[in-house]
Order: sequence, then C-alpha cells, then structure tokens
Amino acid sequence: MRGLCFLLLWAAAGAGSGTVNLEGKAVDPFAPAAKVRVFIFVRTDCPVSNRYAPELKRLSDDFAARGAVFSMVYADPGETSANIRRHIEQYGFPGVVIRDPAHSLVRRAKATITPEAAVFSTDGKLLYHGRIDNRFVELGKSMANPTRRDLEDSIAAALDGRPQSEESAPAVGCYLADVE
Amino acid sequence: MRWVLPFAALVAAAWPGKAEVITFYKHITPIVYRSCTPCHRPGEAGPFALLTYEDVKKHALQIAGVTKRRYMPPWLPEPGHGDFQDEQRLSDAQIQTIERWAREGAPAGDPADAAPVPKFAPGWQLGTPDLVLQAPRPYPLRADGSDEYWNFVLPLKLAGTRWVKAIEIRPGNARAVHHANVLIDRSRSARTQEKTPGAGFSGMDLNIEADTFDPDSHFLFWKPGGTPWEEPDGMAWRADPTTDLILNVHMQPTGKPEMVQPSIGLYFTDHPGTKFPMLVQLEHDGALDIAAGTRDFPISDDFTVPMDMDVLAVYPHAHYLGRLLEGYATLPDGSRKWLIRIPDWDVNWQAVYRFTAPVFLPKGSVVAMRFHYDNSEENPRNPNHPARRVRGGNQATDEMGHLWLQVLPRGAEDRRMDLQEAIMRHRLDKYPGDFSAHFNLGALQLARGNAAEAIPYLRSAVEARPEQPVALNTLGAALLSAGNANDATAMFERALRSDARYTNARYNLANALAERQQWEQAAGQFRQVLTESPDDAGAREHLAEVLRLWGNEMAAAGRLEDAASHLRECLRFRENDAALHSDLGTVLARLGRFREAVPEFETAVRLDPRLDTARNNLRAARARLEQSGERGAIR
Repeated sequence: MRGLCFLLLWAAAGAGSGTVNLEGKAVDPFAPAAKVRVFIFVRTDCPVSNRYAPELKRLSDDFAARGAVFSMVYADPGETSANIRRHIEQYGFPGVVIRDPAHSLVRRAKATITPEAAVFSTDGKLLYHGRIDNRFVELGKSMANPTRRDLEDSIAAALDGRPQSEESAPAVGCYLADVE
Repeated sequence: MRWVLPFAALVAAAWPGKAEVITFYKHITPIVYRSCTPCHRPGEAGPFALLTYEDVKKHALQIAGVTKRRYMPPWLPEPGHGDFQDEQRLSDAQIQTIERWAREGAPAGDPADAAPVPKFAPGWQLGTPDLVLQAPRPYPLRADGSDEYWNFVLPLKLAGTRWVKAIEIRPGNARAVHHANVLIDRSRSARTQEKTPGAGFSGMDLNIEADTFDPDSHFLFWKPGGTPWEEPDGMAWRADPTTDLILNVHMQPTGKPEMVQPSIGLYFTDHPGTKFPMLVQLEHDGALDIAAGTRDFPISDDFTVPMDMDVLAVYPHAHYLGRLLEGYATLPDGSRKWLIRIPDWDVNWQAVYRFTAPVFLPKGSVVAMRFHYDNSEENPRNPNHPARRVRGGNQATDEMGHLWLQVLPRGAEDRRMDLQEAIMRHRLDKYPGDFSAHFNLGALQLARGNAAEAIPYLRSAVEARPEQPVALNTLGAALLSAGNANDATAMFERALRSDARYTNARYNLANALAERQQWEQAAGQFRQVLTESPDDAGAREHLAEVLRLWGNEMAAAGRLEDAASHLRECLRFRENDAALHSDLGTVLARLGRFREAVPEFETAVRLDPRLDTARNNLRAARARLEQSGERGAIR
C-alpha cells in the first residue's frame, strides 16, 4: 500500500511539475492532448516578447484548425496573476496561460529567453526550441520584417510529421535566469 | 595628509577589489540611478522600471549583456572625438562591475550603502509652461509592423511675437515614441500636406519652404531621458502668431495598439535674441545612389567656413543604412579638430550633441562630413530584404546624409546672410542646376537690395522649377524692384496660376499693376487680397492710394461720376485725409452736387484749417447752394 501511495504522489507531482493556472491551481501543461503543443515563454516586463504578441496571435489563429495548441508561459515567480491577466488583455496574447514559478517547464523546454518557443509532439517529445523568427538580431538591433520564420516552419513540420532540428539560432530577449 | 583616507575610499567604491563582494546597494545603485533610472521608471520611455533591488535583479543578466555591448545606456559617439554634455557612456570599470554582480548572483547587500535615490519631478521638467500646444488629435499606432514617422502641425496661438528660451516636448506616450523633433514653419507651408486641417501627415523628414530670410537657428529635439534644454541669455528664438510648429515624431510599435498625442510646452523670456546662431548643414544626398549589396558606400561634403565661428552643437543624421558617421574640421594650420565620430550608427538613438565648450573654427577651416553606408543583405538594419537600390529622399526607405552644426559667428553683428550665401554657393558647386541654391542666392541679393544681381539667380531657379510659385513671385518682386513692371506682372500671374490662393503674389501683382497705372485691375487685385487676408494693413493702404490716383485721373479726364465713386471708396480707408475730402468736394461741386460737396469741404477745413483751397471752395459752394440750381465755377 505504501508503494502505491508513493506512486500516486509521484504521478501528481509529474502531472503538475509545479505549473499552475492563474488561480494558483496545479495544471498539467500537456493536458488535454494536442496534435502539436506550442509553449511561448513570456514576461510582463520584456519589451521583446510584447512586440511578438501580434505575430503569436497570427500563428495561433493560422494553426488552430490543424490542431496546434498554444500556451503562454509566465515563469517569473514574483509576478502577480492580476498583472499577468492585464498583460494578456492589453497585448492580446493567444492561447492558454500557464505559470511556471519553479521553472520546471522552462527546463523541460530548454528555454533561456523570453520570448522563446518550444514545440512538443503529441507524446511530449521536444521537437524544437528557440526563436520565433529572425526579426531581432540582438537587443536593439532588429529588422523591419523577419526573413526566417523558425516557429512557423517548425509547427508546420511537426503537423506534417517531417523531421526537424531541435535547436535554432538563439532567441533574443530577456533572460529567464533573471527571474529564477 | 588628511586627504589620503577619503581618496582611498573613493577609489575602493569605484573599483571594487577582486575579493570584495559586489552588491546592489553599494556598487550598482550609483550606476543605475545615474544612467538607467531617468528613463527606466514609470511613465517614462524605458520598457520596465529600474528603481528597486527587485526591479534590477529581475534584469541583471540582461543589463550585464546590454551594457557590455554598449547598447545601453544609448550613447553613439566614440569618446575622444568631441566632448559633449550629458554624456551617457559607462566606463569599462562600471561595465565590469555590473557583469561581475550579475554573474555572482546579483546580491543585494546592505541598504545603508545605497547611493541617494534620485528625485524626479513629475510632469513638465522646467515647471508650468507659458504656453502648451497639444496635437489636435491622437495618432493611432498599430500594434505591429515597422516604425512610423508622423508630423503633427501645431499652430502657435499667440497674441503677439514672443521670444522662446526653452521648449519641452512631452511625447504623450513615452513607450511608443522614440524621438521627436520640432521644426519652425514661419510661412505655414507644411500644413498644406495635411489631407484635412489638424490631421497631420506622414514622413521621416520634411522640407519647410520659407518666403522670408529667417534660417533655422536652434535644435529643438527630444529623446528619452533627455533633459529639456534652456537657451542661454540672448539665444532665445522668435515665435510669431503666424508660425506653425511641426512636431516630427518617430514611433515604434510596442505589440499593442497605442495612442500617441504629444504636446509641446513653451517657455518665454522678455530678453529677445541678441545673438544670431544658425544651423549649417553639410550633406550629400545627391550622391546617395547605393546599389543593392554594397557593403561600404561613402559620401562626403567639405565646407570652408567663411568667418570665425563657434560650433555649439552637432546633429548627424542618416537613416537605416548609415554605418560610420564622421565629422571633423581641418583648421588653417592643418590640425584636425573632431566634431563627432559614430562608429556604429543607429537611427533609433539619433540625438543632438551639445559640446561642453564651444568649438572654435577660425575663418578658412574646412568642415568635413564623411559618412559610410551598408546596403548589404548582412546589415540587419537594412529595411529591404532582399536588399534593393536605395537613393536619397525623405522617406524611411530612402537614405540621407546630413551633418548639422549649430554655429555662432564671432562678433556682435548678424552674419547669417553672409553665412547663408557661403552655404548656397557651396551647394551650387555640388549641384549646378539646383533650385534651392539659385533661389536662396537670389532671395539673399534681393534682401540686400541688389535686385539686378538677384534676377539671374531667380531666373535659374524658375528654370529649374518653372511652376514653383514662391520662386515666380520672388523673381517678379526682383523685376519690379529693377523697374520692369511688365515682366514682373507676368511672373506674378504665373505664380497665381500655380497657386491661386497665394496672397503674397496677388499683393505683388496688384502693386505691379499700380506701377503700370492700371488702376482698375490693381484695385481689383487689392480687393481680392483683402478678402483673403482682411487685416492686411499694407493692402488697405495701397488700395486707398490706387483709388485716390484713379479718382484724380478720372477727374482730370472729366469722368466725374467715376472719380467721385473712387474717391468715396478711398475715404473708407482714409476718413481723416483733409486733401481727399477736399478733392471729393471739388469733383461733386463740378458735378453741380453742392449739397454733397459742402459737407466734404467742411470736413476738410475741420481736419486741416490751413487748407485754403477747401476753405475757398466751401465758401463758393455755399454761395452756389444759395443760388440753387445755378452751376458756378469752382477753383
């Protein structure tokens, strides 16, 4: 009986991994199942991730019908849920909102920057993590329009079942390590 | 030796020893409070606050990264190539301190060690302005897309001329506005670009046309974190009731829709401008034709200064392809004085740089502009992917190469015309058929009273732009001054064909017609001027004079009814002119209308008792009235 108990506890921890919703309730970021799951790591105080709000909305709308589900992940434990709600509302970020104060999802997605994208397969395999596109060359140096759309390509490849490289050129933005 | 100890303590604070733990309060607050917080606080341009330990810790690695690359705090000039006020450059030691602190876990330390927290006044930094101009309506900035450049037209609402010692620009939305520039439009020429009044218009740069010699003299510039600039005594600039201020604003989308409604605060002084600074522009936009893929495209301009002068400030300007921007002067003794050097230009952080001390350039010094552009695919700031051919122009997708200097010629007198002449002759060397050089040289000669010398320049200007109304009008004015009223009339008529609402040209046309004694046409044009501009005192006075001369001519020709009508109209403008009343009385008496003539003579005598003609004629007219019906001789 003790063994079973232990297993149950472990399972509960694995499902939530410390990720919660805006009400503070533990949530499994991978439930319910999706054909392709896209996490975007953002912050309320990162101008670069703010700048991507319209692009993320576009991608989410474009791929929704094909079964790609977007989640916005806020990893700053010091942030309040009220601020996050206001942020989502003001910028119109798409998808489900997840808080990851313990950075468990950050580690699983190998994310280091906001904004950074992670694309997972149905069975939870990390297919891609990195920049959304190449608009930002470095902080303060950006192109008017991107010439490579890494995230879009990755989602399309995942939906088509085509192989892809897990890593891209590094994302540009704010460090997740600053809000550990 | 009491000074040794404090000195050592200062050194320790600036350069922490290897063993010392770097803490926020002790080592980081002096840097952050001075170099970050002015912008990074609520309501200001910085996208997040950097006020408290928690604020700064949440961006520690980021701050370490951006300071190491010297992206923050934004400061483009290379040290050692010009000494500027408010330098926002961190020392290598400060950058290393930040990096170590971030790398070592960003410890807080003891709050007692902190530098004093800076105090920021809310709202207007120079106090309540004497006049606030707000953009008539907010500009809706899209959430996404490329940068936008918008021009707000702000008419100065003044009862009379004032002198402005300072302006403060409030961006209206600090997070969306990247920088702003105010241009003084004394002839209200820019507002014609608005689709509807108050709508504003787009464009990264603009040309302001002026019909009087009043060259730009001040940099009126705003950038995030900048302190408003107050002109020293004697350097105030003139603001007239008929002046528009054009606020040129560079905005960057933030990710959400933004409303941008900037305002300008003006601060007046009773001390008029007694010094005569001028903005001198080196440029070579005409050489900008950069083939796609060109990695290094240089342009240059060299201007020999025609008089001793001090350079007070410098403003280099290029668009997205600019890379290396250099400005320096070679003095008559062959030595080089740097004005500015920007090794990695970024249009987003363009600024006006004011020298800590004026840079003296003796007559004969050669100011050099050396700008380099990168139109390759590898230039991340290239707005075109794939790269395409780019030429000079006002839009963000065009390029520019300007080095503006604010200079103050030495000596008490106003030397701006001489300076302008040198600039325009230099421009003519660069662009032999150039409209504005020819036009400005002609206008200068005309302002100096040399109509004959003005005419060839103005003819060339009209040749370059045959429909340009201001040039046609100015050429007409020169011809009229030179005594050629016939050709002048033709020029004014051409100007009005280009722009029927060009009141100044109409006024000049009326004068030219009057010069040719074409009274009827002249009076008609003056009446139209007064319809367009009812307060034009000159037009009223000239119309009155035309009517008087016309009336007298009619009287001499015996067309007495016409004469009476013109003199009567003339009296509407000159009711206290004794001679005019007398003349009208005479015409009426000649018409036998003694009852009307008598009061005119009476008024004339009342206004000027020494007017013997009127007195005699009054006596005669009264006598005639008594012998009613009889028509008598009137002297």
